[in-house]
Amino acid sequence: MSEARILTEQDCRDIFERVKAFARGGGDTRVFISSWWQGELRWARNRVSLSSDRRDVEISVTRTLERGGRRGVTTNQLDDHSLEAAVRAAERMSKLDHSPGRGFGFEPPQQKYPMPDSAPVWSPATVGASTLERGEVARSMIAPAETAGLYSAGYLEVRAASRMVLNTEVTDPQPGDGEYTQSSYVRWTQAQCSTTVRDASGTGSGWAGLSSYDWDRVHDEAGALAERAVQKCKASRNPVALEPGRYTVILEPQAVADLMAFFVASLRRNSAESGAGPWKLTIDDALTTDPSKPFWHTKLGLKVVDERITISHDPMDPWQSIIMPRFDEPGPVTWIERGVLKNLYYPLLSTGLELGRRHSLRGAVGYRISSGDTSMEEMIRSTRRGLLVTRFSNLKLLDEDSLLTTGLTRDGLWLIENGEITKAVKNFRFTESPLFVLNNVEQIGEAVPVFRPTKEEDGELTPAIVPPIKARDFSFTSLIDAV
Amino acid sequence: MMISRRDLVKLGLKAGVGATLLSGVPRWAQAKALGIAPEMPLPITDPWIKELALRAVEAARSAGAMYADVRLTHTRERGFSPHPTSVWDSERLSVGVRALVDGYWGFVASPIWQPDEMARVGREAVNQAKVMAMGPRRQIDLASVPVVHDEHWTMPVEIDPFEVSPFEVTDFLMGLRHFVKGFSGFKPGDNRPLAHFQVQEKAFASSEGAYYTQRVYRSLGELEIGYEGGAREVGGALDTLTPAGLGWELFTGQAIREQIRQLMEELKEDASLPLKPVEVGRYEVVCDAQTVATLADRTLGTATQLDRALGFEANASGTSYLNSPLEMLGRFEVGSPLLTLTANRSERGGAATVAWDDEGVRPDEFTLVREGTLEDFQTTRESAAWLVDSSTKANREIRSHGCAAAPSAINAPMLHTPNLRVEPGREAMDFDGAVASLEEGIAIRAMGVDMDFQGLNGLGQSKRVYEIKNGKRVAMIEGAGFLFRAPELWKGLVSLGGEDNVGRYGMGSSKGEPAQTTVHSVSAPPAVFEEFTVIDPKRKA
Repeated sequence: MSEARILTEQDCRDIFERVKAFARGGGDTRVFISSWWQGELRWARNRVSLSSDRRDVEISVTRTLERGGRRGVTTNQLDDHSLEAAVRAAERMSKLDHSPGRGFGFEPPQQKYPMPDSAPVWSPATVGASTLERGEVARSMIAPAETAGLYSAGYLEVRAASRMVLNTEVTDPQPGDGEYTQSSYVRWTQAQCSTTVRDASGTGSGWAGLSSYDWDRVHDEAGALAERAVQKCKASRNPVALEPGRYTVILEPQAVADLMAFFVASLRRNSAESGAGPWKLTIDDALTTDPSKPFWHTKLGLKVVDERITISHDPMDPWQSIIMPRFDEPGPVTWIERGVLKNLYYPLLSTGLELGRRHSLRGAVGYRISSGDTSMEEMIRSTRRGLLVTRFSNLKLLDEDSLLTTGLTRDGLWLIENGEITKAVKNFRFTESPLFVLNNVEQIGEAVPVFRPTKEEDGELTPAIVPPIKARDFSFTSLIDAV
Repeated sequence: MMISRRDLVKLGLKAGVGATLLSGVPRWAQAKALGIAPEMPLPITDPWIKELALRAVEAARSAGAMYADVRLTHTRERGFSPHPTSVWDSERLSVGVRALVDGYWGFVASPIWQPDEMARVGREAVNQAKVMAMGPRRQIDLASVPVVHDEHWTMPVEIDPFEVSPFEVTDFLMGLRHFVKGFSGFKPGDNRPLAHFQVQEKAFASSEGAYYTQRVYRSLGELEIGYEGGAREVGGALDTLTPAGLGWELFTGQAIREQIRQLMEELKEDASLPLKPVEVGRYEVVCDAQTVATLADRTLGTATQLDRALGFEANASGTSYLNSPLEMLGRFEVGSPLLTLTANRSERGGAATVAWDDEGVRPDEFTLVREGTLEDFQTTRESAAWLVDSSTKANREIRSHGCAAAPSAINAPMLHTPNLRVEPGREAMDFDGAVASLEEGIAIRAMGVDMDFQGLNGLGQSKRVYEIKNGKRVAMIEGAGFLFRAPELWKGLVSLGGEDNVGRYGMGSSKGEPAQTTVHSVSAPPAVFEEFTVIDPKRKA
């Protein structure tokens, strides 16, 4: 039963064969096939508000006729009639445009590119989490809030998804003909759970959440998540207004992960080389750089953040398991090593081959920021005056080059005075750059897995392991009296 | 006559490969297998689709649902961009069944339109609800609704975009591109103009005996234009192609080239104006119609969603600053007496316009804010009943306003913003007129707005902000931001343009877990606000 919720590899191959048989007029055929299933449960005001079970498939047929364009047609129907209609439509579309190349199909010899090793991305526990079990977990998470006279809302989700891309082979491929489009069958699972607890008067709000490919890991933490959200709600009631300004902040791991969103997305070589983003070399940087450095147009090799910061990915760590890109550098990748920019994402075809590499280098889809040895308690104890931040919300990038970001604190913000948490504080809008924060680090704690699920039903895994960070002079720009 | 899967296999039709997932054999495929002329996807009014729908409802009812409804959606989409030429097509069938058991909802969705699958989906929706009903008691009352019997509605569009040849659309877009490039210094944005069309057919049946089918269109376009002919590079976007409940006439039914010329004139003026840095302070501000519509949507459009106000979105998009609906109705002042905000799902061309919502309710026109006072909330059948005390006191009928919606049947229906309308003032005032009326102040075109998770505090930003002196735009202000609290913003409303100055803009509403986005229209005239706080959003503390 659980197997039939998504397509198997054989299903995908059969679909491809059927599509190929419908093709008329030569040219190349490519089929992208994905499927997903989700078991979901929402609750609010201490009662389950919806329990759902959903699934869908997607078949994208692309036909490239000789000297024609490359056009895709998508359907979620697998019967012959629908597939044939999709192929015909794709062929009509292909005729709309001219393409000088032959289009699809260029593939390096397959045997040299086995799927890179990675820790599991498929968890039988996630697929096996029954409606009953999900309901029990939800109720167990609601109970502590209800007992305390508070309102719990939350969301639990388990999902499975699969993807495969197949295309016809092209003889005599030449570089630049097309893209490496074919990809092996992959299937993965994702589990997530998050909860928001509010008080009846709406002055306090606490949040906690966790995601993983493995439901067991989320399930094991459910009680702790519920407890944390309740405590945060209670402790955040009746907040006082503080003046905006610069504060020392202790960012909980979730807040660090939220703030890092634009940072990790920016770790791309192409944009740096074309003169955009934070990693392009500016004149100032160039003047202080050894001119013999090979990467003269990027900051590769330069110290960019505090030397205690290392940002890396190990595909063999089950808390970091991602769907490894097929042609990617096997093994761990480090983007920032002890504060020095070491690597930036690049694709194989354009940049990789120019660099003489045989692999692409992945971006920080999944990542880990190195741990420090300071406990949260110690961070608080050693703070004369500062703010403790649960998480950030509504983030918006203001400046691509400096990564200056604005956003809001949400679900728990406290004032620390002379080593103790003294007051709940009203939320702030901040205007700050993660680059600035990572250059003003005071202390770092132990890295832990955070809540970082993909929202799209067929989205890939994006796990992160992030430490709490204490940093100086974080800029809060205006008061937000929303809870 | 229904034919079985085995018959099909005998006929040599490879119907599918998986056991559960792939058994979908639409009727047109069956027909083809039997040697009958193959039908293209069935029209939604075909009796066979009603059979499917009723089968799902019946399965849910016999499994123990106290209430159940089913939606079958057939969604076609077609997208275009002219440079490089690109067309993509998508077609999806979905079925979703919602079942209510002892106060708990279950929802199950699938891509397979097939009798056995209807039964499975119906039964499983009940199972989902029953498992949850093992928990503490939960009471749900559904506001009663006149039952719709076998009715069909097709959104009136002048030209069905799927009847237009893709070549013609591509030519049209390419033509606009060349038109823009024909003017010295002007260029269209990369890959622009783009166009996107959707037609969705829906069949709805409920255990209360309701059955309707409807066909709804959505069209949208995007065109940004840059100008490099002046002292510096400037740019703007055409604001007349936002999502609408229209067909191909969205492009051919209005004077787009005239609008482009006007935008070009504006951009020329922008490029000729000196640049000024932000001077933080409070100003009298003229907002163009699009900015007023965006402000109304992001502040009041989200805050008056009753599910948000009562905490049902607390873990997702957030709650609302209108957080005590029962106490606030009829009393809370959300803005100046000049402000009246109405809602509907019936206006011609509206992006949220339907004949019936996703619960079979025919939406009514209603007033959310009357002369500055909160008068009502957006509701569905379940949420309407949450206002029972207030409605009884006000001697009002308890009924849903018909705000249940979802992108397709693969998503559970939930409360989404209907079409909104900021009621215009009595006297005409266009953007230029409003600017002319100001001795000193600021004017804003096409502002984007980010709100907090209660729709209370906002940050607005636009690239087209002007300093006004003696009724004239005298400079452009670089990097200006606007900070506001929703009630103060609307209390600072000084004047509104008239009926002839109203513009309509399609906007998205995203909420829920899993998240889903629907579109609606917001109509508003230009307006003048006082005491608007201007900041430099990039300035740190």
